Amino acid sequence: MSAALELDGLKKSFGQTEIIRGVDLSIGKGERHAIIGPNGAGKSTLFNLITGRFPQTEGAIRLHGQDLAGKAPFEINRMGLSRSFQITNIFPKMTVFENVRCSLLWSMGYRYNFWSMVGRSRALTKGTDEILDQINLTARRDLPAGVLSYAEQRALEIGITIAGGADVIMLDEPTAGMSHSETDYIVDLIRTVTTGKTLIMVEHDMGVVFGLADQISVLVYGEIIATGTPEAVRANPKVQEAYLGEALETH
Amino acid sequence: MTDQFTSDPSKPAQRMRAGSMVIPLVPWGIAAVLLMVLPFIFTANSAITIMNQMAITIIFALAYNMLLGQGGMLSFGHAVYAGVGGFACVHIMNMDDFFAGIPLPLLPIFGGLMGMGLATIVGSFSTRKAGTVFAMISLGVGELIAACSVIIVAFFGGEEGISGDRTYGMPFFGVEFLQQIEVYYLIAAWLLISAALMYLYSRTPLGRMANAVRDNPERAEFLGYSARWVRFFSFVASGFFAGVAGALFAVNYEILTEENLNTTQSGLILLATFLGGVGFFFGPILGAIVFTLVQTVLSLQTELWGFYLGIVFVVTVMFFPGGLAGLIMMHVPAMRLGKLGRLGIPYLKTLGAGAVGCLGAAALIEMTFHLRHASAGDHSMTLYWITFDSHTMLPWIVAIAVTLIGFGIVRATAPALAEAWNDANTPDGAPR
Repeated sequence: MSAALELDGLKKSFGQTEIIRGVDLSIGKGERHAIIGPNGAGKSTLFNLITGRFPQTEGAIRLHGQDLAGKAPFEINRMGLSRSFQITNIFPKMTVFENVRCSLLWSMGYRYNFWSMVGRSRALTKGTDEILDQINLTARRDLPAGVLSYAEQRALEIGITIAGGADVIMLDEPTAGMSHSETDYIVDLIRTVTTGKTLIMVEHDMGVVFGLADQISVLVYGEIIATGTPEAVRANPKVQEAYLGEALETH
Repeated sequence: MTDQFTSDPSKPAQRMRAGSMVIPLVPWGIAAVLLMVLPFIFTANSAITIMNQMAITIIFALAYNMLLGQGGMLSFGHAVYAGVGGFACVHIMNMDDFFAGIPLPLLPIFGGLMGMGLATIVGSFSTRKAGTVFAMISLGVGELIAACSVIIVAFFGGEEGISGDRTYGMPFFGVEFLQQIEVYYLIAAWLLISAALMYLYSRTPLGRMANAVRDNPERAEFLGYSARWVRFFSFVASGFFAGVAGALFAVNYEILTEENLNTTQSGLILLATFLGGVGFFFGPILGAIVFTLVQTVLSLQTELWGFYLGIVFVVTVMFFPGGLAGLIMMHVPAMRLGKLGRLGIPYLKTLGAGAVGCLGAAALIEMTFHLRHASAGDHSMTLYWITFDSHTMLPWIVAIAVTLIGFGIVRATAPALAEAWNDANTPDGAPR
C-alpha cells in the first residue's frame, strides 16, 4: 500500500513554544486513520499544518508523494485533500443546496468561470442533489444553512468536505458536541461517504475512534508515541500510561 | 433579518435570492417597459434630467454592490473608477478624428474598460485581504487619485475639470444626441444592459463564489478557490460597470471635475447602496432612486437635505440593516400566508403618526435653522406652504405639539403593530 500522506520530521513552533515536536507518520491509501491524544497535544495544529492553514517550521508533508511546502490551502485542496473543521465552518447565509454546489464548482472544472450560468448545468445540479441525498439534507435544500440544527450543520460540513471528490478526507472532531444518537448518525454517515477514500480524523470520542478507524496514532505533547491497529494501540503500555488507560477501560 | 427565513422546508423563502434555478424574466420585462414609457409620463425637462441622473446612479450603485453586497468588500473610494472612466470618455470626445468614427452609444465601453483597467491595477494589491485592510486601501487610493486631479492637470483638468461635446460623435442611425430625451434612451439602454449583465454575473460560478468568499473566505479556500482571486475578479468586474456609469455621466453632463472622483462621491454611493439594501440584487436600484430623489427634489425644498439624509442613513444602519429591500422582503412570509392585509390598518396608524411626528420634528429643525441663519430682520419663513414669523411663539408651540403628538401615537400604537406583525407571520391555527 503506497502512502497517501506522509509526514517527515514535522515541527511547528509558535514563538518559543514548540507545539509539534517532530512527527513522522505515513498514512496509506484507503486507510481510516484516527489521531487521538489529550487536550493540547497539538492535534488541531497538526491538521492545520497538513492543510496549509499554517506553514510548518521544519520537516516535510507529502500528499501522494508531492511536497506541500509553501502551498496555500486552495492549492492543497486542488491536489485532492479536503478537510472539515472543529468549529462548524459553512456558508451560513447561503442555502444548503448552494453550500454543496459551491464545493463542487472547482472539481467540476468551472474555476473562475463568469460566462456560464450555474443554474443551467444539469450535471452540477444533479451532483449537488446526490450529495444532499447522501447526507440526508434533501428536505432542507432551500433553507439558509445558518438555520439548520447543529447536527444538520455538521452533516452539511461533511457533505461540503467530500463533495469536491477529494481522495484524502480530514475530519476535525466530527462528532464534537453531539448527543449519543446524533453521534451514531454521523458515524454511519462518515462510514458511507468515505468509502474507498483515505480518512484522517481527530476525535475525542473513543467509541467513534474504535468504531471507525483501522489505524490509530496517539499524539502526546507534539509527538506520536504510538501508531498501529486499535488492538495494538489499546495494548501499548506507553499509551496506557500517557493517556488511554482510563478512557479505554470504559470501552 | 431572520424574519425572512421560514422554517418550513416545503416553502423556500429564498426564491428571489441569486442561486435559484429560474431567471425571472418578468421583472426585467417590466423594467424595460417602464424605462420606455417613463419619459411619456414625466415629460418635463427637469424630470428627464433627474431620470438620467437616477439611471447613472443605479448603474454605479449596482456596480458598488458587486463589492459590498455580493463580495463583502467595503470600499471607501469607488468613485475613482467611475470618475476615471468618465474623464477618459471626455478625452475621447475631444479626440475629434477618433470620436467622429465611433457612435456615441459605444462610448461607455471605453469608460468601462478604463475603469476596469484601473481596477485591475489597484485590485492586484487591494484585494489580498477583505475587511479593514481592503477598506483602508480603498480610502487611500481614493484620496490619492482625487489628489492627482490637481497634479495631473493634463488628464483631470485641474480644479475646473474638463469638458467635451457629445454631439461630435458619429451619428447613430441619424441620432446626434442633441436632445436630453435622446440621451435618456441611451442611458436607459445602458442601464438595462449593465443591470442584466451584473445580474447574470451573480449567477455564474465566479459570482456564486463571490458570495461564498464574502460569507466565509477560509472555507472557500478549502474548496479549491483562492479567496483573493475571487475578490480580484469581482473588483475588476465592478470597476468595469463603475466606468460605464462614469462614461454615461460624461455623456449626460459633458463635464467632469474632481468632484466626480473624490471621497465625498464615494461616500454617497456607499450611502445610496446601503440605504437600498445590500442583501438583494434590486436593493441598490431602490437606494439609487430614493437617493437621487432626495438629492434633487428635496434639495430644492431645504438646504438641510444632507442632514435629513444622514439621519435616515443612521437609522437604516442601526435598525434596518437590510435597507429598503430588506424591509420589503421582510413582508414575504406574511404575503405567502396571505395575511399581508392585516398589517394595513396598524401600519396606517403607526406609520401615519410617525410621518406626522417627523414632519413636526423637521419643522422644528427648519425653524431653528431659520432663526440662526436668516439675515437680520428677515423673520418670515415658509414651511409646508404656510408663511409665518419664526420669531413668534405660536409656530413653535404648534410644531412641538405636532411632534409630541405624532411620536406619542407611535409609542401608543407600536404594541398593537407588533402584535399584528406576529399575527401576520404566524400560520393560522399554529400555536402562538
